[in-house]
Amino acid sequence: MAEWRNRLGGAYALTVFTAILPGHEDALRAHLEALPLGEQSPLARLDQLHLSRIQIFDELVHQHPSQKRETLKSSHLLFTSTFDGDLDPYLDAICERIGPQADAWWGHCVGYPGTADRAAFRRYIRAHKVDTSLFASANQNASVPVVRESLAVRERVVDFAADAQGLDAAALRERFLAAFGDLR
Amino acid sequence: MGATAPPRPGNAIGRMTGLTLFTPIRRQWLPVLVVGFFLGRFVPLIPHHILQFNFIKFVRWTIVAGLPGEKLNYRYLFFESNFDGPWQHYIDAFAYVIPTDIRITWGRGIAFPYPPPAEPLKAWIARNSMEGGTYYCAYPEASTRMVRSALEVRERVGALVRDAERLGPEEFKAAYERFLVDNQVHL
Repeated sequence: MAEWRNRLGGAYALTVFTAILPGHEDALRAHLEALPLGEQSPLARLDQLHLSRIQIFDELVHQHPSQKRETLKSSHLLFTSTFDGDLDPYLDAICERIGPQADAWWGHCVGYPGTADRAAFRRYIRAHKVDTSLFASANQNASVPVVRESLAVRERVVDFAADAQGLDAAALRERFLAAFGDLR
Repeated sequence: MGATAPPRPGNAIGRMTGLTLFTPIRRQWLPVLVVGFFLGRFVPLIPHHILQFNFIKFVRWTIVAGLPGEKLNYRYLFFESNFDGPWQHYIDAFAYVIPTDIRITWGRGIAFPYPPPAEPLKAWIARNSMEGGTYYCAYPEASTRMVRSALEVRERVGALVRDAERLGPEEFKAAYERFLVDNQVHL
């Protein structure tokens, strides 16, 4: 399928559905909900990753009596990511930096080859990804490092503005260049 | 989950909330959505309208034709949005500010409540929201507006540094004070 459908500026939207092995649902659910959050999350080791959600999808909501009732044969693992760059480097980063952790969740899924065989891992994810119909972002061209650096600069500017009150012009210029010269 | 229940841990981290929905599409509406989403990439009416709210970081819609090992009677619309704050506030904004966009996207979905008002829509979302799991954001404490402001400030500080290197002290002080006034909203 066309990769362009998943792209917006420098960002890529990945959506992957994989069927969970029968009888593995509870163990996988417990594993996902016990994963550390924030900076301790294994996903924090993926430098290009803006956002990710991993969840179990085990039913189709019956919307109305007029709808033909649908029942899933198995539960599914949904993995979504929004990251900078192309898909293959992202999949390689998963293999290199969080291989055992990725194996711990996808290892509960049908046909999963593991991250040790990187080519097979890439094929598996590509075979199970669903291309995006429409993708939108407030900051489509800002990479994760740029967003983080910008947030830090904003804080530095606020601190500088408070500290620099009352400085004469020469001292202000000198202090400003010392504080922000790296941003030229 | 009730319409006013707080998000579970798998849906929220820091200031961020993730909302995912997986809802059936009526067969006769599928071509409209396919064309609408395609046009949305090039005539960005839908993204423009939705991103007018300064609390959405990333949003995606995906038409799902099938799931591994399943035979489905319908195509499904997978929706994922990542935004600041609880989703009840997000839905209020959607229901009252861009009801037409919402109706076009989901309005032909089965049993979809036409907004406004927002409460039936919230109940529908609560019924369809996919819960649990784990959620990660690289900058969870930064709101979407903070990120936008930070990107603006970063660019403008760089320009001021370049100016500082060629301006005398008094000229620089005037430029610095203008910078603070112009960027007050971002700081």
